[in-house]
Amino acid sequence: MTIVTHILVTTLGAQAMELHGGELALAYAFGVGVDIDHAVKAPFYLRAIGFKNERDYYWRSSLQEPVALLWILPLCLFLGTLVPALFFIMHVALDYSVRFEKMPFYPYSRWVTRGWLVNVPDKVKEGVVLVIVVALNVALYWSRRGV
Amino acid sequence: MFEWVPALGGLSDRVLGPLIRGLHALGISPAQVTWAAFGASVVAAASIATGHVGPGLAFMALGQVLDGVDGGIARQFGLGSRAGQALDDILDRASEAVLFVAFVLAGLVSVKLAALAFAAILLLTTIAHRSKLDPGVKRFALYFGLWVPYPLLFQIIFLVNLAGYVVGLLIIDCQFQLRMDKLGGDLDTVASRAALLEAQGG
Repeated sequence: MTIVTHILVTTLGAQAMELHGGELALAYAFGVGVDIDHAVKAPFYLRAIGFKNERDYYWRSSLQEPVALLWILPLCLFLGTLVPALFFIMHVALDYSVRFEKMPFYPYSRWVTRGWLVNVPDKVKEGVVLVIVVALNVALYWSRRGV
Repeated sequence: MFEWVPALGGLSDRVLGPLIRGLHALGISPAQVTWAAFGASVVAAASIATGHVGPGLAFMALGQVLDGVDGGIARQFGLGSRAGQALDDILDRASEAVLFVAFVLAGLVSVKLAALAFAAILLLTTIAHRSKLDPGVKRFALYFGLWVPYPLLFQIIFLVNLAGYVVGLLIIDCQFQLRMDKLGGDLDTVASRAALLEAQGG
């Protein structure tokens, strides 16, 4: 999913849970910030592809795969909040609705999957999610402010 | 002990050289020294658990010296083996487990913090042989308890090892990315093809 969708879904979750301060920062760090691994992969992309647009390049890393829960859950216990795990799961759930290859448990397992709803075109899924999330964000915002 | 930091291993071998050669001359194997190191950790844990932290740390130091000696004998006399390495890893973690339990029993740290620190160390251990990254902040940090509160030290052990684990995962991902880039072809299927190749040992 695109970064815009991740931001909107995280915003919706943060609004719904009425998060503030440190927990709000954690929500965006684990709901959106985990995409920072694309910056780690950028030098590899430039080396292998150059400045061409290659949509199928493997941009993912374990930072945004389910295997990351192995360190995110202890971190939640340490911080005393489930916010990192919840928003991370939301991020992963969105990514797994796009059909590119993913390795959920690498390096412990080499299993490769394309996620769920693979027969529905990615653009349709992205569009539907975007419309729903924008609508819910606006509705929640208005309802909270009694508009 | 210093498998992931060869330079430190070499330094340790030089410092402990006479002891390494002496024990080897007596016919003592690296595995026997590994067990002796674990024994010293158990005695250290018993001391700490009964409130004798100072002597406990001294026994812990003895255990760590012996832990350096076993690898030294293996390196210097060509006695290294995968089984020996595995035994060393298992008993290192077992040493940390008994020592952390001892600190809990002594009331110096909470069960939660000790368990989290140990979990982070275990996570790091599962990938350290592939990432070659191990910050080495485990038992060693406990000596600073003479100056720093133990709960803070356990928090540091947890955070450093957890960060090491995350970075280690990224290192392994980068290694896999290089493999995928080298493989090339249809990028839509490159992960599954590289995974298959890796499974076949390629």
